[in-house]
Amino acid sequence: AAMGPDMEPLLLAWSYFRRRKFQLCADLCTQMLEKSPYDQAAWILKARALTEMVYIDEIDVDQEGIAEMILDENAIAQVPRPGTSLKLPVTNQTGGPSQAIRPITQAGRPITGFLRPSTQSGRPGTMEQAIRTPRTAYTARPITSSGRFVRMGTASMLTSPDGPFINLSRLNLTKYSQKPKLAKALFEYIFHHENDIKTALDLAALSTEHSQYKDWWWKVQIGKCYYRLGMYREAEKQFKSALKQQEMVDTFLYLAKVYISLDQPVTALTLYKQGLDKFPGEVTLLCGIARIYEEMNNIPSATEYYKEVLKQDNTHVEAIACIGSNHFYSDQPEVALRFYRRLLQMGVYNCQLFNNLGLCCFYAQQYDMTLTSFERALSLAENEEETADVWYNLGHVAVGIGDTNLAHQCFRLALVNNNHHAEAYNNLAVLEMRKGHVEQARALLQTASSLAPHMYEPHFNFATVSDKIGDLQRSYVAAQKSEAAFPDHVDTQHLIKQLKQHFAML
Amino acid sequence: MAEMKSMFREVLPKQDIGQLSVEDVTTMVLCKPKLLPLKSLTLEKLEKMQQAAQDTIRQQEMAEKEQ
Repeated sequence: AAMGPDMEPLLLAWSYFRRRKFQLCADLCTQMLEKSPYDQAAWILKARALTEMVYIDEIDVDQEGIAEMILDENAIAQVPRPGTSLKLPVTNQTGGPSQAIRPITQAGRPITGFLRPSTQSGRPGTMEQAIRTPRTAYTARPITSSGRFVRMGTASMLTSPDGPFINLSRLNLTKYSQKPKLAKALFEYIFHHENDIKTALDLAALSTEHSQYKDWWWKVQIGKCYYRLGMYREAEKQFKSALKQQEMVDTFLYLAKVYISLDQPVTALTLYKQGLDKFPGEVTLLCGIARIYEEMNNIPSATEYYKEVLKQDNTHVEAIACIGSNHFYSDQPEVALRFYRRLLQMGVYNCQLFNNLGLCCFYAQQYDMTLTSFERALSLAENEEETADVWYNLGHVAVGIGDTNLAHQCFRLALVNNNHHAEAYNNLAVLEMRKGHVEQARALLQTASSLAPHMYEPHFNFATVSDKIGDLQRSYVAAQKSEAAFPDHVDTQHLIKQLKQHFAML
Repeated sequence: MAEMKSMFREVLPKQDIGQLSVEDVTTMVLCKPKLLPLKSLTLEKLEKMQQAAQDTIRQQEMAEKEQ
């Protein structure tokens, strides 16, 4: 900093940029632009600094809004054959852990070991499900996907009191498209910082024309714009044309993203494999394959590819976490523990990891570490939902050691922190039932089943309780809901059979 | 081997013959323990940015109210 004032401002700004001190860089550029408003170097450097501040890898960004999902007319088949769609929760044909062991998400998939923007809450199957889903912090999704980006765009403008840095409506796009180097940085600014996809598309279209359709980079950018605008078929054309000119890993990933949005996982898989022929052992491609298999509920194949990822990159957090959770839910907590310990060694230090370590330790009978891990998880929790989940899991430890009072308190604490924790309601009901409090248990179960209609446990438990007190009609209704949520559940089938016999006798 | 076999004789209970299974009593089920998924870097950055944006908006609203 002592050298600062003596240095050439542009060089200093450039140095800030390279050291990723983007705010300092932008501020310095602003000063330079006040002195000489037509300094192109300072102008473009500022645009790049502002872009970097809000830059998110476009490949990872994929949050569908309710509107996109429900009004989706891109899917080819309304009733796809099993194994060719990401939309229907595939029944467990591949030998992965059953629903009785591994919890599922609202979309009917087994919970994953790793959370990305697009896995955040899964697709609800129907409009009713989408709207009725409780809008907690976990599951709330924007009405349209552009909503989130608009919010972030306005927020970035709020921070600059003099209005936006570049007034897009007054920009002469044709002029900039003649200068390819400026145009590329400007495009990224418009796309990432302003989130004005239409203007970005205009600039990209002019630029690709100027390059006589010979620059693959512009084709990829046009494809990205089309994708954001929901024009998947047009995006596909651009990416394919770009791939013909220059094969790039990113382009393969973008194209696969298009196919996933079109609900064609099998085509996406083939594409990834084509990509692997050109770029053998490429981690992002391998990981893409594993994610699709996981979403299609084909856990063995997913694990196989995650292992392939780890052969190439043994510090890949996603692969380690997914393999770890697979081991945990296939009754090998001690193996899972080794994977999570590896993450700890690598420097991952958060609530989720310590919670998982605590669970693995408990089920692998390493009792000395269990409670300390959970304590650490509680102290690292960043919001109330995380705290609730840790208390919920602690409740299981308490159930495991037979301390029902502690378990009761843990599940209560989970509910204090997150009033929408359906699992905690269900488990609390089971504990109440053991004490003989039928009415309380029934009320808790009703809450649980309305919060999470995709879980079979509350339905089944409600059916069991109702059956015991002789309310056969309600029991039958609940049992059928349970069967819909988990068709292979043997106890539910027994109960339904029993009830049918009762009804036949009447 | 033949001698060994003769040493042990099978014992069949005289009463309750054939009770090899006990009828299953349906019990209530607990929801299972939940491993928490780790968050990707992109997701963490998105959440941080959204949080920061919300904070800025809230601050500006507060400032407007005070005026």
